[in-house]
Amino acid sequence: MCTMDIYAQNILDRYKKPFYKDKFNLSGKRVAGSGKLNLVIHKEANHSCGDVVEVGMKFVETQNLASLQVYSFSGNGCAISMASADMLGDVIVGMNMEDILNFSKDELYEVLGIEISVRRSKCALLPLLAIQNGVLGHQKEALKSWKDYHI
Amino acid sequence: MNFRQDFPIFITNPNLVYLDSAATSQKPKVVLEALRYYYENENANIHRSAHFLAEKATVAYEATRQTVADFIGAKHKHEIIFTRNATESINLVARSWGETFLKAGDEVLLSKLEHHSNLIPWLQLKEKIGIEIKYLDIDESGQLIFDESQITEKTKLVSLTGMSNSLGVITHLKPIITKAHEVGAKVLIDACQMAVHSPIDVQELDADFLVFSAHKLYGPTGVGVLYGKSDLLEKMPPFLGGGEMIQQVFEDRFIAGDIPNKFEAGTPNIAGVTAFKAAIEYLNSVGFETIQKQEKALTEYALEKLKALPYLKLIGPQGMKNRGSIISFTIDGVHPHDIAEGLSQKQICIRAGHHCTQPLMDYLELPATARASFAFYNEVEEVDKLVKGLEEVYEYFNQ
Ligand SMILES: Cc1ncc(COP(=O)(O)O)c(C=O)c1O
Repeated sequence: MCTMDIYAQNILDRYKKPFYKDKFNLSGKRVAGSGKLNLVIHKEANHSCGDVVEVGMKFVETQNLASLQVYSFSGNGCAISMASADMLGDVIVGMNMEDILNFSKDELYEVLGIEISVRRSKCALLPLLAIQNGVLGHQKEALKSWKDYHI
Repeated sequence: MNFRQDFPIFITNPNLVYLDSAATSQKPKVVLEALRYYYENENANIHRSAHFLAEKATVAYEATRQTVADFIGAKHKHEIIFTRNATESINLVARSWGETFLKAGDEVLLSKLEHHSNLIPWLQLKEKIGIEIKYLDIDESGQLIFDESQITEKTKLVSLTGMSNSLGVITHLKPIITKAHEVGAKVLIDACQMAVHSPIDVQELDADFLVFSAHKLYGPTGVGVLYGKSDLLEKMPPFLGGGEMIQQVFEDRFIAGDIPNKFEAGTPNIAGVTAFKAAIEYLNSVGFETIQKQEKALTEYALEKLKALPYLKLIGPQGMKNRGSIISFTIDGVHPHDIAEGLSQKQICIRAGHHCTQPLMDYLELPATARASFAFYNEVEEVDKLVKGLEEVYEYFNQ
């Protein structure tokens, strides 16, 4: 009988059995759907703990709105950063770039459903940083840094 | 002997298992009392005002300088400079000595074990004036690999740790120091970890500079020490400019004061420095013999218990040889952060991360490790709690 209960079950489940991890085919083959295809790949690292998250996103442009069709990530990290990367997939697939950029820290914490301590905030936010900077880079905008999340 | 009762944090947190003393030590009651005593009885600015209270504060502050000089066997008390921390001490040497006496192409020899605070100031100097940085490699046990050819006429400074904060290795410095001096290079010793676990004699070591922080040595935060041989310190220009460090100031120039004041610009951490004396006195009253005996027993016991966990991998030295009371490890399939988080739920404090030694982690090809460090106030039961905690963390992630 294990007496530890480090994280909520959803976090542990998604860490152990991720849905979106290493699913991406970087060959850039067209996915289902028509319209202009935009492939976004971006990597961020949290050097203070060695966590690395690389996200791959395929946006399909229809009527001037690029919405996310396929999301995947790869990387190495603690349970929170990996679960966060996975659970973000549930909410951002289908969003357009604008919605993704507007997705906030608080909304992410709500999705994770656990209390995120200050010392773990970068773990939780690393995948969001990778996703949002991927989009910003694609749009040739200035990238975000940790200070933009007010942690 | 039970030293725990000397440390109020264990009274306010009776279940605390503090295995992170390498990051900062807990503070004995006598240090906290000294801080309070200073503010309640002697608080005034030092070296400035001509009243009796300033006299008391100055005497108390300067008394610590003598205590520190005696603690490390310095010849003169003016060879002790108070800074904010060891990091500032190294920066002082890099900016003042380095920028004055080094030029493009000169070599500074470091090692793979160094803490960022003994890397960045030299990398900054590389950017600024174009010095070359060389590194001593380490073997599987973490010990420095040194052969004399690594120190040449080009080598102007050798700056090395006396004990690795990441792996716990106690480095063999003597032959390196001897060779450095043969070619006329200066030697800086980062004694942050070393000073906590063994007596230091700067004469015997023949260090030109030696640095450490009070906060790892049972003293307050905000106080660092730079020891430097007086002939070197005298030739070095001031680091920061301001009050306290000058002899004479004119509108267009200034004349720096004598050492040590030349390097202590502005109002220092008077309370902290004053209380640091109480920390050293406390340490001396416990005695290094007792400290080493207790820390060795704890480390030996912990190594034995940890080695029995099949999924745990020790990083660095595998045994007791040349090891201080620091143990770095990883656990299969569990990120160090998750290890620390799980233990933290049981009030067990360890460190997880790169321990401010990113080049070392890259060299070991590890993103991070978990690190337990022991002080003489720790007890065998705490090691048992650590091991039990680790078993539970492993089980949690593998159930
Ligand atoms: C070996 C070593 N060097 C340097 C430092 C830097 O000490 P501080 O942060 O007090 O300046 C530390 C502690 O973090 C250390 O362990």
